[in-house]
Amino acid sequence: MSSPFRARAVGMRLFPGEGRGPAVRPVPLGPGLRRGTTLLALLLALPACDREQRDMAGQPKAETKSFVTSGDPRSAEYENNAFHIAQGQKWYGWFNCSGCHFHGGGGMGPPLMDEQWIYGGRMEDIVASILYGRPNGMPDWHDKITEQQAWELAAYVKSLSAQPRQDALSARADEMSNSEPQTLQGRKKVVPENMAPPGSEDR
Amino acid sequence: MADRHGAHFLAAILAALLLSFAGFAAPLAAQQNGARPASSASPAEDGQWTMPSKDYASTRYSGLNQVDRANVGRLKLAFTFDTHNRKGHEAAPLVVGNMMYLTTPYPNHIWALDLAKGGRPVWVFRPHPQPASQGVACCDVVNRGAVYSNGRLFFTTLDGMVYAIDARSGRQIWGTKLGDISRGETITMSPLVAEGKVLVGNSGGEMGVRGWLVALDAGSGRIAWKAFSTGPDKDVLIGPRFKPWYASDRGTDLGVHTWPPEQWKIGGGTVWGWISYDPKLKMIYYGTGNPGPWNPQQRPGDNKWTTGVFARDIATGEARWFYQSSPHDLFDHDDINEQVLLDMPVNGRMTPVLVRPGRNGYMYVIDRRTGQVYSADAFGFINSMDGVDLATGRLRMVKDKEPKEGRVTRNICPTASGVKDWNPSAFSPRTGLLYVPHENLCMDEGVFEANYISGTPYVGAEVKMYAGPGGHRGVFTAWDPVRRKAVWEFNENLPLWSGALATGGDLVFYGTMDGWFKALDAVTGKQLWARKLDSGIISQPVTYRGPDGRQYVAVVTGVGGWMGAIVSAQLDPRDPTAALGAVNAMKDLPGLTQPGGKLYVFTLPR
Amino acid sequence: MIRRVALLPLLAAPAGCGGLQTIGGREGRDAAIINDLFTIFCIVTALFFVAVMAFLFAAYWRRKGHRRDGMPDPLEVPARTGALRIALAVWTGAVVAGLVGLALASYFTDRSLAYPNPGNRPVVSIELIGNQWWWDVRYHFQDPSKNFRTANELHLPAGSPAMVYLKANDVIHSFWVPNLAGKQDLIPGRVNDIVLLPTKVGHYRGQCAEYCGLQHAHMALDVIVDSPQDFARWMESQSRPATTPATPRQIAGYDFFMNRQCSSCHAVAGTRAGAGVGPDLTHLMSRKTIAAGTLPNGTGPLHAWIADPQGVKPGTNMPYIGLNADELHNVVAYLESLK
Repeated sequence: MSSPFRARAVGMRLFPGEGRGPAVRPVPLGPGLRRGTTLLALLLALPACDREQRDMAGQPKAETKSFVTSGDPRSAEYENNAFHIAQGQKWYGWFNCSGCHFHGGGGMGPPLMDEQWIYGGRMEDIVASILYGRPNGMPDWHDKITEQQAWELAAYVKSLSAQPRQDALSARADEMSNSEPQTLQGRKKVVPENMAPPGSEDR
Repeated sequence: MADRHGAHFLAAILAALLLSFAGFAAPLAAQQNGARPASSASPAEDGQWTMPSKDYASTRYSGLNQVDRANVGRLKLAFTFDTHNRKGHEAAPLVVGNMMYLTTPYPNHIWALDLAKGGRPVWVFRPHPQPASQGVACCDVVNRGAVYSNGRLFFTTLDGMVYAIDARSGRQIWGTKLGDISRGETITMSPLVAEGKVLVGNSGGEMGVRGWLVALDAGSGRIAWKAFSTGPDKDVLIGPRFKPWYASDRGTDLGVHTWPPEQWKIGGGTVWGWISYDPKLKMIYYGTGNPGPWNPQQRPGDNKWTTGVFARDIATGEARWFYQSSPHDLFDHDDINEQVLLDMPVNGRMTPVLVRPGRNGYMYVIDRRTGQVYSADAFGFINSMDGVDLATGRLRMVKDKEPKEGRVTRNICPTASGVKDWNPSAFSPRTGLLYVPHENLCMDEGVFEANYISGTPYVGAEVKMYAGPGGHRGVFTAWDPVRRKAVWEFNENLPLWSGALATGGDLVFYGTMDGWFKALDAVTGKQLWARKLDSGIISQPVTYRGPDGRQYVAVVTGVGGWMGAIVSAQLDPRDPTAALGAVNAMKDLPGLTQPGGKLYVFTLPR
Repeated sequence: MIRRVALLPLLAAPAGCGGLQTIGGREGRDAAIINDLFTIFCIVTALFFVAVMAFLFAAYWRRKGHRRDGMPDPLEVPARTGALRIALAVWTGAVVAGLVGLALASYFTDRSLAYPNPGNRPVVSIELIGNQWWWDVRYHFQDPSKNFRTANELHLPAGSPAMVYLKANDVIHSFWVPNLAGKQDLIPGRVNDIVLLPTKVGHYRGQCAEYCGLQHAHMALDVIVDSPQDFARWMESQSRPATTPATPRQIAGYDFFMNRQCSSCHAVAGTRAGAGVGPDLTHLMSRKTIAAGTLPNGTGPLHAWIADPQGVKPGTNMPYIGLNADELHNVVAYLESLK
């Protein structure tokens, strides 16, 4: 009986006419080898699935007005996606976020690279801050950028404190040397307790 | 035996009389260099402090000499007052009669304290500025102080309002809106009030704002005139009486032609610093801020009329002369520092000049009638500029320190906040020296194309600051403006961001960013007294004669401002570019001090 | 049958020799010089090719002896004659002469290319910045108040040299207008330059020649060579600020432009919109194409582009905004007023 994993020769002469004997017909793969190849292909395909899925037209599927319910389904699409984080990195410089928040350290605006989130650290909280502004100086951008750009920015902002998966984080900055790349930073867990209760800041 | 006791008794009375006499003492003999404040701009000492600069000549000098070099070591705390505001406090307390007036950072409250009742608050004025203004203030939500004139207090708020309130009751008399925060404009400066006019300038050179200076009528609050810092001559109030000394400042509509098209409309030149006034010549003197954006490649041309000094008629605002300290500024060297009006010997002749410690590190001595620069000597370490050519007035730049897109230019000295930023110096007519609190910082800068979106930053630069040669970040210099050199210098670990105070007791006072309030010997520079206060000091110390006739020295703590933002705004030290590079230079500050906001008043024990 | 069909593509070959984007073009000084070198190489190598082929056929035709398998008989020794020796010497000499000739031609061509402005004539100064996937074109003058900015279109005066400074904002691009000159890269962090000296008035097409991402193929540049008078007229019109909107639709479109997403990225000189990350739209209607040569300029393509840029050019940095029909018509009406 043939073992399922015994490889059968598949050969074709490279130069017909050279040497002796008739040309050998190609032999099909046996069932064992076919199964093994399929398994291997599946294993290889899995990790590459969602790292860089691109949805260019990015039409938000729902009204982004209510942020009371947690677990907005769009978070999953944007939060650990390398393409969206990279796009967010580009918008961060283009739309002058870096002018107030610099590269996470803050300045005119508060730092974005630490664990403290004045108005909430979930994706939908950050998107709300960006799109609708906040009382103490954060401008509202809902007329000046698109919803997808806001979600991409939120994904990038989360990456400033190394929240997303390692393989989605941007490994280098586009500007002169600043902080260590987020891929080298330890991941900070954001829990609701890390949100400063309203009014506790002297703002 | 009775005679001896009697003699001692007499001596004691005489001593007591002399000690309690707080008046104008005779000038010191040997060190006088002939420099004295412009007489019309510097009235006799009255024991009050009615404007942050003390007088129109901006001497910040008080003739009170009860506290002197011999007894300053015994200064003790008289009372304190907590403003309960924890942002950077830059304002000078005002003292008028028995009342003291404090101005806080946003939300810009004005407190009136009764000095006869131990500093008890009498009233507080709350102007309720728009909270969104906090988001367009580049360098902490500071305010540099109110001004008292004719029974009223005049001050500005972060969201672009100017108020006049009654000094006795705290009631608002008028409020005029001048700035538009949706365009990125704020106001932080201390106005100048003279000849019935309130002079106010805007802030926002990092936000693509077009700079201006406005004169309001002190009685009604209506705009009397408005002079822009860029644009056509009719906007800048340049007319037939404008006679700049140097050829490169002469021409028509230079405020348009030295810019790419449209760029002057978002070009900066804001007026957020100090104004001096000469009542004899009836001219005001002030400097304009940096051109925007910081990236110089986006604005080829000289960028008039930014980073320069204007002299204007106070009545009409007409420009009389202009000198551009940094044409086509490369390093954010706002020229808004104080100008001290002095009459002093220049080349042997007594000349009316203004002396300004420039942001770019040169001590300018300029004829205040004509704008001619007599001297410009470096008072700090500079490697990005090579002196001022006095024939043409032009600053010589070092080519390879010019920030260019696509590369990082390293080790540029001085840094963007210059050898000296807004914090004002003081002049003592007794020693003839200018006491300059300043910095020793250098920077790396990389520039890129800035994207203009109204109401958002328009900078185009990444900066990382650090200590200059020597490792000390602050310096307190005693400068002789006639002999054009430093007489003594006192190095500090941290940059100096507080103002200086000079007194008739031959003392100079200033505060450090980690909270040390110090008195130095004005002649020798020796530290005579120091007290650690609850928070870093970036405000302007004052001294006054209290209701009981004794001399008091007052200072407000509350670290912040551009250099102190890492503490007042709790920034993250892991990002060296934060706060436009200041965070890198001040990474240790959170370990040395904490946010605060308290008035401390000191006096001698009875 | 198969052999004949294989010859069909040859019919298309001459298409590469003419037109507005062709390496066969000679309308610029550099292109003409390179073309001449190409011609010399072609002729010399063709001659040698013909000679070699001739010798090969001669050798086959004159082969001595046969074997059953057609291979030469090793016992047959070819006659050694003096003629053969002379022929060898001549051939060697010809090859050497040919190679030296080619080397000299190459050297002189390089030399000509390296000195693009021998008469030191005043130049037009242009800064060309490559972005993904469009060209930012800035004209610089001694007097900075005359500078202006446009996008995806270059105008040059015939007969005058133009110094083009090449920069890139993101990745490496390459500037290539084959009718005028060779390629020159745009490298981030570096300023390259190329001198263009067009000799013939006309409209040519340039292309990004270094793969720069998803839409590299849609990063074209229109290069229009004008007569000096036309060029002066064009420059003058480009320096003017934008026309103010007149009709209600245009005004509505202007309001949308200033208050919504458009002004976050695009600039229109003379208005509040001063953003520099997207193409300058001040004189949009003076250009022949939009989206860097992706679509011709006109009402229909403008509607299509603004309604769904991602559908036209997926991955482009202009986002899908989602305007309704009214907003779309207003914005296009305003843009069409920007002549």
